[in-house]
Amino acid sequence: MAIPWDLIVVQTVNGIVTGMILALVASGLTLIFGIMDVVNFAHGELFMLGAYIGVLVLASTGSFLLALTTASLVVALIGAALQIVTLRPLIGRDPLTTILATFGASLVLQNYALWQFGPISRKIAEPVSGQFHLLYLEYPWYRLVIAVASAAIIGAFWLFLKFGRYGIWIRATTQDRVMAQAMGIPVPWVHTGVFAIGAAMAAASGVLFGPLVGVEPYMGLPWVLKAFIVVVVGGMGSFGGSIAAAIFVSLLESYASIWVSPSQAIIVSFVVLILTLLFRPTGLFGSASR
Amino acid sequence: MTKPDSAADPIVKVDDLHAYYGKSHVLNGVSLQVGRSEVVGLLGRNGVGKSTTLKSIMGLVHAQQGTVLFEGKPVTGMPAHKLARSGIAYVPEDRRIFRLLTVMENLRTGLDRAGMTESRRHELLDKVYELFPILAERRNQHGGTLSGGEQQMLAIARAMMLEPKIILLDEPTEGLMPRMVAQIARIIEILHREGVAILLVEQNVALTLECSRRVYFMEKGETRHHAAAADLTVDDPVIHQYLGV
Repeated sequence: MAIPWDLIVVQTVNGIVTGMILALVASGLTLIFGIMDVVNFAHGELFMLGAYIGVLVLASTGSFLLALTTASLVVALIGAALQIVTLRPLIGRDPLTTILATFGASLVLQNYALWQFGPISRKIAEPVSGQFHLLYLEYPWYRLVIAVASAAIIGAFWLFLKFGRYGIWIRATTQDRVMAQAMGIPVPWVHTGVFAIGAAMAAASGVLFGPLVGVEPYMGLPWVLKAFIVVVVGGMGSFGGSIAAAIFVSLLESYASIWVSPSQAIIVSFVVLILTLLFRPTGLFGSASR
Repeated sequence: MTKPDSAADPIVKVDDLHAYYGKSHVLNGVSLQVGRSEVVGLLGRNGVGKSTTLKSIMGLVHAQQGTVLFEGKPVTGMPAHKLARSGIAYVPEDRRIFRLLTVMENLRTGLDRAGMTESRRHELLDKVYELFPILAERRNQHGGTLSGGEQQMLAIARAMMLEPKIILLDEPTEGLMPRMVAQIARIIEILHREGVAILLVEQNVALTLECSRRVYFMEKGETRHHAAAADLTVDDPVIHQYLGV
């Protein structure tokens, strides 16, 4: 069988684009898990809510940038409220209770969206139209915009974690919650803040990805499923690991869909997940570091 | 033997503290006080509740009964981060350095707080770097790469960043070489002279007696006796009673 080089080039670009958006979804998820051991089953719904708020703001103002920032801010507030109301009272309980709580929140948010916006999918117009030649394809510029914007958000957040005063608080709390508190770091508020940041990142990816699919109440499900795979493969709680894993898994899926249909290509992600759990349960990319 | 006078104006006063881990009663009536800039030792066999006493003062272990007063005000049940901001610092037994943070970042966890000025920051950093030159050398290294002794110095330096009025110091010489032990004694002396009170839990009796003004003895989760350190010697009958095997 001849190697279809042109297809491989196109699928590499596709894989990187989906990988970046997946990285943006997953980094919020991994951050929340890393700092409070909470598996946030409502993450996909925060992604979906972000997209809907994007639709509304875009319809009334016409500005995509405003839609992106408003959606992130509003969903950050919703995330903070969700954390204070449902997760904070569960601190110190069995982690299973947080799974039930976030799963419950996810059902509530899904059905709220269904009730409020209806089952018909809404559209977000691409802020950047136009295409460029990529071999035999007319490739939309907007897909590259998504990749760059996701990378920029992740990069900005990484700088904040590395150098910012609150970034140090977050890293210290992730490593040793008790000692962080003994050093005067208000750990309960760091938890709320991290949840809000994770929610904002989910919302931003929802708005960015909205133009490619439609915005509908269940749009978060496939993303959160993939994000979970990525978080495990990347090493639970490892920020860099989940970014690497997001791109790795998305590239593999893209290449697989050269030969099989895209819906079958998802199998590849699960194979990677199972192999990781069997042979490197701490994750492929996580250096056990948090 | 004379009963030592307790501090007239205690910075920390603990009265009849009781705490449980699950169902086991680990603190069973702890009462003690530490005066301003006083160094007080807390002695007892392993597992009598010395570390738990420090943790409950710090708000890290919930006390079911009894009170902790800090500067005369009740602080029982107050979250640890508020106590840290108001002037109680804690240096735990296992040091608990943030291993993936650099030395500088470890110090910043205590430095980055409201009301900190740029010049005060520099003063505090200069002071610890002068006391612990090795930390200045390693400021960009991860905490986890330091040796045990260096980690102990970092743990103390980190606590000093809070400009505490009292430091709860848990087994600072555990596992250290003799040369380091002498340095820890010197640092306790320096902190004392600067007006910082210290509640010291130690296995090293000679060091405790040398550094402290008064010593409390614990047994079965309870403070049973206290004495002026000057009245005791390393092989005193009291020491044997509470620490002998």
